[in-house]
Amino acid sequence: MRRIAGRTIYTLIVLFVSSIAVFYAIRLSGGDAIAARLPASATVEQREAFRELIGLNDPIHEQYLNYIGGVLSGDLGKSLTNNADIFDMLLEHGLNSFILGATAFGLVFIIGVPLGMLAAVRRNSWVDSSVMTFAVGGMAIPNFWLALLAVWLFASTLGWLPSAGCCSPNQLILPAIVLAMEGIALTVRMTRSAMLENIEQDFVRTLRAGGLSEKRIVGKHVFRNALVPIISLAGLRIGQIIGYALVVEVIFGWPGLGQVLVNAVLRRDYPVAQFFSLVLITIVVLSNWLADVGYTVANPRLRKA
Amino acid sequence: MTDTAPILSIQNLKTSVTSGGDTFNVVRGVSLDLYPNEVLCLVGESGCGKTITALSIMRLLPDPPVRIQGGSIEYRGRDLTELSDKEIQQVRSSQISMIFQDPLTSLDPVFTVGHVITEIIRNHLDISKEEARARGIKMFAEVGLPDPERRFDTYPHQLSGGMRQRVMIALALVLDPDILIADEPTTALDVTVQAQILEKLLEEQRERSMSMLLITHDLAVVAAVADRVAVMYAGEIVEEAPVDELFSSPKHPYTQGLLRALPQVGYKRDKLESISGLVPPPQMMPPGCYFAPRCPHALEACWDEHPELTEKEGSRVRCLNPQPFVA
Repeated sequence: MRRIAGRTIYTLIVLFVSSIAVFYAIRLSGGDAIAARLPASATVEQREAFRELIGLNDPIHEQYLNYIGGVLSGDLGKSLTNNADIFDMLLEHGLNSFILGATAFGLVFIIGVPLGMLAAVRRNSWVDSSVMTFAVGGMAIPNFWLALLAVWLFASTLGWLPSAGCCSPNQLILPAIVLAMEGIALTVRMTRSAMLENIEQDFVRTLRAGGLSEKRIVGKHVFRNALVPIISLAGLRIGQIIGYALVVEVIFGWPGLGQVLVNAVLRRDYPVAQFFSLVLITIVVLSNWLADVGYTVANPRLRKA
Repeated sequence: MTDTAPILSIQNLKTSVTSGGDTFNVVRGVSLDLYPNEVLCLVGESGCGKTITALSIMRLLPDPPVRIQGGSIEYRGRDLTELSDKEIQQVRSSQISMIFQDPLTSLDPVFTVGHVITEIIRNHLDISKEEARARGIKMFAEVGLPDPERRFDTYPHQLSGGMRQRVMIALALVLDPDILIADEPTTALDVTVQAQILEKLLEEQRERSMSMLLITHDLAVVAAVADRVAVMYAGEIVEEAPVDELFSSPKHPYTQGLLRALPQVGYKRDKLESISGLVPPPQMMPPGCYFAPRCPHALEACWDEHPELTEKEGSRVRCLNPQPFVA
């Protein structure tokens, strides 16, 4: 209970501090929201009137208080670019992002864990070296570059998959794999080393002395022990996926939160950029909290006796 | 004891370790018989090869780098060193069982103790989960685990060191083996718990008419539980005798040194006794007696000729120049 309360307070502090940081940063980054909203033919007076209307001439701390008051009372405001309701945008793009992110998250484990096990079981063989080479590559190649390579190979050259768009399964494959790649690579390495570490443990000798087969010991006991760090750190993979989603969604034209946020920042669409940043920050903070919980779930030693 | 046939007979066992491209034996021709119903203690300092000998019997050596190079281990007409993986798995725990030194690291941390004992039972016997559970709980009760029903569903970390070692004993005995190998079973426990665990082991050994090979470096334990004792030095047995004979009249200078090094309660010496010198590294064993460099009675011949184990007054001793024991 105390732990949960502490976590909640911590989460609120992080959100508060980051809301200020986001608010100031986007205003201090130069450029002008007005240019995006009004046509190029608008006069200086018209621009000034609009500036006054949306409150950009108020002192910045007043702007912040007005904004945060609005958000807390449920009024998220409207986009400066197209006047769309921000809550509606959140629902629509949030769902798209969720589909992409959840698929990538699933791929991290569905591909990463079995590959890591395979490398551990066949250690020092050519299978092991190929898997590990793949893993090193997956970690080393930046995802924007991987995205371009994937588009070039599978979309432009082979023509197997569409290069961009939303939201058919075919269009999901490339962005999801690119988004998952670093997580897969990390999971492969973690699984392999956790398997090899656990197979050296004393309890394995006890199970062998109990007459269990090697297959059963490795496939069940060593594997289950190796899962502890992997499940524990699953929450961190979520944060990673959200960070990379900004880039991957833009490259693949996937209309998710990341793409909206990037566009909003480029157009100085303050209300959208502020709110969507806060949403992503909240998810990252929650996923770190999830990592904490996950460690307890995966590891009986940390459960209450 | 010697009028019955041994239940386990180790002949000239050689086990090697490979390290940095070199392979050398750490068990150098151990021959040892274990008789039905007896407690045989294998003693010696760390690194003398006693654990490797025990692990060789169970074929639990970490291979690589440790591997049996020669000799035979005969049990019920079969040579254990020749068995396939599948065959030795069937022998383990149903016929020969083993418990280890550190009961915390020796239990799988992410499964309950009940889960593991059920798994071991059902691995060997074709019975239902419920029957296996009942059998497991009965076994936990027998080894003195308090509140066994509830403890059945706990994880190892929730148990004390003594209770964990009781769980280890339950895992080892639940299939009613002929032979129990106990490798320093009390070394990692509190002194007060050590006696309880030893007592439990002896009780089980007597009730089940089981043979026990107890590995220890603690001579007080040996004196309390052993029927017969084998002393190992540098990978071979240097003396083997009934327990009374060994303590009253040790013949090998190494055994004599071990006994002299035992501190006595209520008898203060100026200085604790020790055996001078070190065990030679396994790559550089002298051609003669391995103990010669540290031996107070070494003759010229001891440096050239490697002694054989020979009968002497009810003991078997590997020494060219045995001397009477003076405490």
